Amino acid sequence: MKYLVYVELKNGRPSGAALELVSAAKKAGADAAAVLAENGCEDAAAEAAKFASEVIILDGAALDPNGRPTEDYLTAALAKLASDEGADGVLLSAAPFNRNIAPRIASRMGAGCITDVIGLSAEDGSLIFTRPSYGGTVLEKQSVIGGKVVATVRSGSFDAPEEGAAAQPVHKTIAVDDADLRAKITEFIAEAGEVVNLEDADVIVSGGRGMGSEEGFKLVEELANELGGVVGASRPAIENGWIGRTHQVGQSGKIVTPKLYIACGISGAMQHVSGMMDSGYIVAINKDEDAPIFQIADVGIVGDVHKILPLMIDAVKAHKAQ
Amino acid sequence: MEFLVCVKQVPDDSVEIHLNPETGTPDLSQADPEAGAFDTYAEELAVRFIEENGGSVTVVSAGTDDNKTCLKNSLAVGAGAAYLIADEGTDCLDSAQVADLLAAAAPKIEEQEGKKFDVILCGKESTDAIGGQVGALLAEKMNLPLVENAVEIKSTDSGISVKQETDTGFMMYEVSTPAVVTISKPDYDPRYPTIRSKMAARKAKIPTLTLSDLGISDLASEAAVSSLGFAEPKTRQAGIKINESEPEEAVKKAMDQMIADKAL
Ligand SMILES: Cc1cc2nc3c(=O)[nH]c(=O)nc-3n(C[C@H](O)[C@H](O)[C@H](O)COP(=O)(O)OP(=O)(O)OC[C@H]3O[C@@H](n4cnc5c(N)ncnc54)[C@H](O)[C@@H]3O)c2cc1C
Ligand SMILES: Nc1ncnc2c1ncn2[C@@H]1O[C@H](COP(=O)(O)O)[C@@H](O)[C@H]1O
Repeated sequence: MKYLVYVELKNGRPSGAALELVSAAKKAGADAAAVLAENGCEDAAAEAAKFASEVIILDGAALDPNGRPTEDYLTAALAKLASDEGADGVLLSAAPFNRNIAPRIASRMGAGCITDVIGLSAEDGSLIFTRPSYGGTVLEKQSVIGGKVVATVRSGSFDAPEEGAAAQPVHKTIAVDDADLRAKITEFIAEAGEVVNLEDADVIVSGGRGMGSEEGFKLVEELANELGGVVGASRPAIENGWIGRTHQVGQSGKIVTPKLYIACGISGAMQHVSGMMDSGYIVAINKDEDAPIFQIADVGIVGDVHKILPLMIDAVKAHKAQ
Repeated sequence: MEFLVCVKQVPDDSVEIHLNPETGTPDLSQADPEAGAFDTYAEELAVRFIEENGGSVTVVSAGTDDNKTCLKNSLAVGAGAAYLIADEGTDCLDSAQVADLLAAAAPKIEEQEGKKFDVILCGKESTDAIGGQVGALLAEKMNLPLVENAVEIKSTDSGISVKQETDTGFMMYEVSTPAVVTISKPDYDPRYPTIRSKMAARKAKIPTLTLSDLGISDLASEAAVSSLGFAEPKTRQAGIKINESEPEEAVKKAMDQMIADKAL
């Protein structure tokens, strides 16, 4: 059995989430054929070749202004490639772009589509996928009817793969009809601000509505800086314009698993918690001692963020100086 | 512009759902049914569009008779007509089945309303199953152009331009109509019904489309995924809670604990 595994790039290298798909395929009892299609993916393909049993570079992809394949192109190309290669499945990391195209690929392959897979087991010859429902408070087990599957897999759910025999990347061109390229991209508008990599951060300090103002939110940034971490935020902090949308943690933002997560002035609504509850160690600062965030915090500090954070920043400085 | 907005009725997303220990299924008894959050964003976007440019908004939901609750609410916040798809087996559908029903319903509703839909809107994902599949599957089945995670739609000479939210910014698209667009959260909130609009909606007739109306003879065979049951995720234990009147003392205790736990 063979699964195609789509490998997107992060800073020119295969994303960690994409490499974990190789382990997921193995767990499903399938050989993983890694597929890359982005502009300048040669080096990444060579790296993916250390783990996957085959590596395919798609030449001539229709690209967006960022040098990534368009959704329309990749939908058509992966569905055709799966059929050419006799693949029974396509796995993609659960990034928004991939979540958009997965159901379309499934539709074209006649496969079942499963979103946000976090676990996989083989029982009596059939594959059982586990995925969160209701914002993560319930897990659902699903299987596909007919055996073919397209799944998006949450990062951090499977181990990083082990190096195996080095595969030799091969180039392929998939002819995609113009009729398949229906949505025309005219422009990309980059969001102001730096590139944020919440998914791979070891430390995240997040601020919520309780930070009170853009000025107040700066304390979150300062503590993140001191800890060498990345700034996260709840949705209200973003909607108030205190920080950019790319910092959002939660169901509609990033799903993160840092070693240390510090939540400042965040109540702990399900849609936020579902994005960070698998963090290694959680610290919460909230003035309301009944805030739900305390139910999942390893250390909960009842107090005013505007008093606690400056002291904590000093304490971290002092600790580092030791 | 004529809009069709697909609305799923879901349990109130501010209520935490857990399994009923006896049945092993999600206990929805404490959560009132409502339209999915992203569906309400889609409807608000469509209503704002027609208020500015003219046109109409029609809503459709597949499920049970119970879905009339959210459809009536849709009528109260700006939709002009509402349709329910309900029949045997439509109480428990997978994404592929929903997309099949909606794809079959769209032309039937066009016939009854005497208009052609330019844009079919879905939420980017439902707030209960969080599949994020139906819009994309619908576009495939109807063979229409698709843009996902949109926050803005404008009309152009040949169709629409759509602003898509991405990881790092916004991708601008141009597509011909008819098209399917899925909606993310725009930077405004859906409106509330007024007492008057609520009263009027309560009296509205909501036509029901059955499987035979839609020409679907074997709904079960359209399913692509089966549900094998539910489980509780492993829960996190709360650790220590520091409640000191002096912030200096609180921070000292917290730092000591974090250092002892090697979290720093
Ligand atoms: C479909 C959908 C998707 C969503 N997706 C996301 C998502 O991805 N991410 C997300 O974060 N949210 C998301 N939300 C919103 C979510 O439901 C909550 O509204 C949000 O997480 C609350 O953010 P908050 O904790 O910052 O604000 P609030 O819930 O208002 O909490 C503020 C907290 O700050 C505390 N506080 C106030 N002042 C102080 C002070 N001086 N010192 C200390 N503490 C103080 C208060 O006690 C309170 O607990 C989504 C909602 C929906 C419907
Ligand atoms: N039963 C349904 N009836 C009408 N629309 C639906 C239904 N289920 C899903 N949808 C639409 O499809 C979107 C995505 O749903 P899902 O794929 O379940 O996450 C929802 O936001 C709705 O717009």
